[in-house]
Amino acid sequence: MSEVAANLSEGTSKTVKQLGRFIVPLSLMLLVGTATLLQPSFLSVNNVQDILTQAAPLALVVLGQAFVILVRGLDLSVASLMASAAVLATAFNATSDAMIPVIFLITIAASAGVGLINGLLVTKRNVSPFLATLAMMIVLQGIRFYYTQGAPSGSLPEGFRILGAGRIAGIPVNMLVFFFFFCILGWLLHKSSFGRKIYITGGNPKSANLVGIQADRVTIVCYVICSVMAGIAGLFLVGFVGTVDNWVGRGYELDAIVACVLGGIMLTGGKGTLWGAATGALILTLIFNIVIILGLPVQAQLIIKGIIIIFVAGLFSRSI
Amino acid sequence: MTYSKSRYLVRRLQLDPSLIIVILLLSIVVISGFVLSDRFGTMRNFMNVLEQSSGLGFASIGQAMVVIVGGIDLSIGAVVTASTIFMAAVVDLHPGLMIPMIFGTLLFGAMIGFCNGYIAMKTGVHPLIVTLGTASILNGSVLIYTLQPTGGVPYWFEEFAYGRIWNVPISGLVMLSCFALIWLFLRYFQTGRAFYAVGGSPEAARLSGIQSNRVILLAYSASGFFAALAGVYFVSRTGVGDPRIGDPITLASITPVILGGLILGGGKGNILGVLLGVILISLLSNLLNYMNISTFVQWVIQGVIIIIAVSVYVHKGKKL
Repeated sequence: MSEVAANLSEGTSKTVKQLGRFIVPLSLMLLVGTATLLQPSFLSVNNVQDILTQAAPLALVVLGQAFVILVRGLDLSVASLMASAAVLATAFNATSDAMIPVIFLITIAASAGVGLINGLLVTKRNVSPFLATLAMMIVLQGIRFYYTQGAPSGSLPEGFRILGAGRIAGIPVNMLVFFFFFCILGWLLHKSSFGRKIYITGGNPKSANLVGIQADRVTIVCYVICSVMAGIAGLFLVGFVGTVDNWVGRGYELDAIVACVLGGIMLTGGKGTLWGAATGALILTLIFNIVIILGLPVQAQLIIKGIIIIFVAGLFSRSI
Repeated sequence: MTYSKSRYLVRRLQLDPSLIIVILLLSIVVISGFVLSDRFGTMRNFMNVLEQSSGLGFASIGQAMVVIVGGIDLSIGAVVTASTIFMAAVVDLHPGLMIPMIFGTLLFGAMIGFCNGYIAMKTGVHPLIVTLGTASILNGSVLIYTLQPTGGVPYWFEEFAYGRIWNVPISGLVMLSCFALIWLFLRYFQTGRAFYAVGGSPEAARLSGIQSNRVILLAYSASGFFAALAGVYFVSRTGVGDPRIGDPITLASITPVILGGLILGGGKGNILGVLLGVILISLLSNLLNYMNISTFVQWVIQGVIIIIAVSVYVHKGKKL
């Protein structure tokens, strides 16, 4: 009897699993459909461009966050790192666009250092990812505020504006950049042997070690990828916002985790796709946009976000 | 010989090795306080610190209980905020309801905590995500209601925060007794001991006849209750309901819990360690203030202390 029940529940869970694969795109379509019905201007070229421009920085962070969550981690330091990258960029007081590549290289190097520390703490000292990155978040925040003494000054080259908010043939530049990283990281995760190592490590680090994968090294690389993406996202966000302040990207750490969960990446590690994570970021941005376009108070974003997080996460956890 | 003797002492005093770190750090802070500042080592200052640490203390008790059963509560700050608004707004309209509203607010917090626990349990979603969701919903609702500090309580209610009995602050006394009660509860009561069993392994606890679900619900309700108590303390201190007051509390409440030797993942730790953690954090920031060290540097120091505390004593096994 219980066997039958077990078979039955396995059957249903399989169906749910099949469904789970389509939940993300389905809910995306549902959102777009409802929004268009309620407000026809939602699908106007302008609004779509705006949404994509807004989504890109978050999506860049989400790409990195996905890697860390896949190896059973969590990175709370990304938002703090974004703001620090922005402050670091202004530190050069550069005016010519020729400095942009230099700024990017230095930011990437510094971010990689942060990711390396996070990764080393998590793997070599066995600190829980939550705490290691929480401490990193506070440390970065302190260093940033100490350096700026509370009010950032300095300027960015004009070119940052184009990177953050410009368009090429109607397509937002930052979306193109996102697409570039999406392809590279997507290949890394889903096509390369290293990607398979990530999934195995996330599924079970011990058995990963047993089959000859250096789980620690894989995990560290994931943290470095996450931090580098956050640093880059910080530069694009500051280009989009136009001014530097100490809180650029505030709240992105939680939004990035939420986007990953919405996109079907399991916090327990080893499950989920980069495609899903990117869709999660888009869904989250869409929700924010829909609230605005419907004329609801901005604060309603928080409420709706909260309800959707719990609801969608509930759906996914059933489909395990 | 010495080894076994010291081990016996550790066992006898029920000292978790990780507790030694907090005691060590605490002694360093106190000793350097006496050396570096002539105002630090006075009874008056210690009593002030005790009073100021109450809010953090209440929030940390709740966080500790959830952490012991293997969860985490990221909605504490939101519950603190919501309870200050709830209390101040209602009492402002009906000043006669002051005393009942204290209990009403505590009940309100406990109910939100219960919801957190219930959702986490029923859906199987990671508590991190659930409490993040409820925090978002609460913050959104509060910010729709008001964007600035609002409401008010009768003047005499500030006695709860500032009042003294034999020169000892009332709020500090309440905090210490809460710690004492919870310590007794966790140590000598069957349900309290079940907290550790559930945190160690919910499945094993369930199989040995413990109703894990009830214990988890109790832990989350307690967390909401103590967050609301922190809210009541802040109302008493500031006299108004403030829609931003709880924001820093969520992450701040985790630090003492970790310093006190509790492990994210559950099943271990002494609540008195958390009290030491609260005192350590409060005394440290008090001392650094006397030494005119900016908040920014204090953040860095706090982050570094978290890293030291969690990475010196390596926890084997469970992680969040």
